[in-house]
Amino acid sequence: MTTELAEKSVAADTGSMMIEVHRLTKQYGDFRALDTVDLSIRKGEFVTLLGPSGSGKSTLLNLISGMTSPTSGRVVINGVDATDMPTNKRGLGMVFQNYALMPHMTVFENIAFPLQVRGMKKAEIETRVAEVLKLIQLENVANRRPRALSGGQQQRISLARCIVYNPSIILMDEPLGALDKKLREDMQLEIKRLHAELGVTMLYVTHDQDEALTMSDRIVLMRNGRIEQQGSPETLYFKPDTVFSADFIGSSNLFQGRLEGEGDTVTLTAGKDRLAVELRSEAAVGPGDEAVVLIRPENLHIADGAIPEGTNVVTATLLDTVVLGGVVRHFLRTEDGRQLVAQVLNRSDRARPKRGAPVQLYWQVGESRLLKADPTFSKQ
Amino acid sequence: MTGRKLSRRLSFGALFVPVVAWMCYLFLLLPSTIVFPISFGNTKEMEFPPSEWSLDLYRQFFNDSAWWGAMTQSLFIATVTTVFTAVLSVPAVYALQRARLPMSSALTHFTMGPLLVPVIVLALGLYLQWAPWGGLDRNLTLVLSHTMLATPFMMISVGASLRHVDPALENAALIMGASKVRIFFRVVLPQLKSGIAAGSLFAFLISLDEVIVAYFVTGPETETLPVKMYSAIRWEVSPVIAAVSTLLTVVSMALAVALMMLERKQRSE
Ligand SMILES: Nc1ncnc2c1ncn2[C@@H]1O[C@H](COP(=O)(O)OP(=O)(O)OP(=O)(O)O)[C@@H](O)[C@H]1O
Ligand SMILES: [Mg+2]
Repeated sequence: MTTELAEKSVAADTGSMMIEVHRLTKQYGDFRALDTVDLSIRKGEFVTLLGPSGSGKSTLLNLISGMTSPTSGRVVINGVDATDMPTNKRGLGMVFQNYALMPHMTVFENIAFPLQVRGMKKAEIETRVAEVLKLIQLENVANRRPRALSGGQQQRISLARCIVYNPSIILMDEPLGALDKKLREDMQLEIKRLHAELGVTMLYVTHDQDEALTMSDRIVLMRNGRIEQQGSPETLYFKPDTVFSADFIGSSNLFQGRLEGEGDTVTLTAGKDRLAVELRSEAAVGPGDEAVVLIRPENLHIADGAIPEGTNVVTATLLDTVVLGGVVRHFLRTEDGRQLVAQVLNRSDRARPKRGAPVQLYWQVGESRLLKADPTFSKQ
Repeated sequence: MTGRKLSRRLSFGALFVPVVAWMCYLFLLLPSTIVFPISFGNTKEMEFPPSEWSLDLYRQFFNDSAWWGAMTQSLFIATVTTVFTAVLSVPAVYALQRARLPMSSALTHFTMGPLLVPVIVLALGLYLQWAPWGGLDRNLTLVLSHTMLATPFMMISVGASLRHVDPALENAALIMGASKVRIFFRVVLPQLKSGIAAGSLFAFLISLDEVIVAYFVTGPETETLPVKMYSAIRWEVSPVIAAVSTLLTVVSMALAVALMMLERKQRSE
C-alpha cells in the first residue's frame, strides 16, 4: 500500500524531477553493491552522494549514466524511463576523477568533441569553445595537449568539456580526488559558481564530508549499498538519525548505555557517568533499551567557574590542544578511557587549560541527541 | 678492499659481455655480409674477394624484367598483406580486449596459433588446401597466407598499445553522446597509431622475406623475390643473386631500424 502511494506521489510531481530512481538494485554474484535504493532529484538541485569506500556511490552513478545495468529497479531521467536506454542517448554530462581527457587531442579538440558529436557547424563550435574557455579562465591553453597541463587545469578542461554542450544533468565521481587541498577548495567554489550560473542538476560523489557539507543542497549518505540518511547539510550535521550518520559527518562524542527512568527526560548510564537525555519519538528507544547520546564538539564546554543549570557534567583529563586558526580543539579522556573532543572559538584573551590538567566538561541536556544503539556499528 | 674487488669484477664484466655479444653478432652476420662485396664484383661468377669492382650486377638486376618484376611483386604482396593484416587485427584485438566475450582469452591464444606450427607444416597444409580449390599461383592466395603468418605479430603489437588506452576515455565519449563507431575511429584508433605502425612494419618484413609458404603456393605468375632467388640458386647460380640479397637486406634493415626508432619514441612518450 505504501509503495502504491509512493508511486502516485512520484507520478504527480514528475514534472519537477530530473532524476528518479525506483527500488534500484545491483547485484554482483551474492553481493549487493546497491540495495533497493529510492532517490529523487529535483531540477537544478545539487545532490551529493557521500559514504565510505565501497558503499555503492559509484555504482549508483554508473547505473544512472547507463554504464552498468541494474539487476532490478527503474531509472527515470527527466520524466522518461531510461532504464534500458543506451548511455549515449541519455543526454548526460560526466566529470571523472582522472579527468578522462583525450591525450591525442588538443584542449580545443577535446572541448569541441561533444559538439562535433552533435553535428554543430565549425564556426559555431569555435565560438562555443572560446566561450567556455573564457568561463573557466583558461583561454590561453587551447592549443596545448592535456598532458602539458596541471591537474587542476586538466580538471577545469574536463568541466568545460562537460558544460559546453549544456547537458541538463552533470554527474561527477570524486572529481577533485586527485587534487591537493588548496586546489580542491578553489575548485569547489568554481563548481558551485558554475552550478549557480547554469542552473544545471548536479549529482556529485565524494567520500570527503567537508566537501559534501560545503557544496550540497542535499546530502545522501550511503552505507553498504543503502541510503542511510538524506537531508540538507544542517540536518545531517545537527540531526543525524543514526550512530553511523553522527559518526561519519563531523566529529562526535558518543556515549552508549542503557536508558532508565520515566517521563520525557531519562537517564543513560555509560560506565561511571549517569547522563540526563531527552527522549525523542523518532529515535524509537525508551527506558530499558540500549541507546547512544551524541554531543557535537562545539556543544561540549570546558568549565571555567560555575557550571550552569540543566547540564550533564563529566570529568576528564586534557590530552592535547590543537589550534585550527579560528577554532581550538581540545582532546580529552575520561577516567574510564573514553576519548572526547571539545571545540571552542579561539580568543587571544582566554587562558587555555594546561595539558594533563583535570577538567570539568558540561553540555546542555537539550543540545545532545539521543540515538538508537547500532549493534553493527561500534566506534569505541 | 671488497669495494675494489667489486669494481674490478664490474669492469671485467663491463668489457667481457659486449665483446662476447659482438662476437656472436659477427658470427651470425658474417656469412650474410659476405654477399655485399660479391655483389659489387664481376658478372661471370661469384668470387670473394672480387677481383674487379663494378655495378654490373645491379645493372643486370634492374635490366632483367624477371628479377625486377619479382621485386615489385614482393613489394606489392607485402603492402597488401600489411593492409589486410591491419584491417583484420585491429578490430579483432579491440573486440577481444573490450567486449568481454565468453571465450576471449581462448580466442586470443588461438590467433597466436600460426606461431606454434612449424612453417613448413603450415606451407604444406596451405598447399594441400588451396590446390583442389584452384587457388595456387594467385596473388590473393599468397596475400591471405602471408596475412595468416603476420597476424599474431600485429595482434601482439596492437594489443600492447590498446592496453595503454584508458577505457574510461571510451566511457567518457559514450556519455557525451558519441556512437560506438565514432568512438572507435576518433578515440581508440588514433591512440593505437604507434602499435599499428610497429605491427605493420613486422607484417611487411615477414611477407617480404617469407620463402617457404610462398614457394609452395606461388607459380610462374606470382613468383616473389625470395622464391626466385631460391630457384636461381638451384638452377642457374647467377651472381646477380648477390645484388638481390644486398638490396633485400638493405630494405629489411631500413625497416628494422625504423621499427626500433618507433619503439624508442613510443617508450619515451
Ligand atoms: N564489477 C564489479 N564486480 C564485483 N563487485 C563490484 C564491481 N563493481 C563494484 N563492486 C563492488 O561494489 C561495491 C560498491 O562499489 P562502488 O564502486 O559503488 O563503491 P564506492 O562507494 O564508489 O566506493 P569508493 O569511495 O571507493 O569509490 C564495492 O564493494 C565493490 O567491490
Ligand atoms: Mg567510487
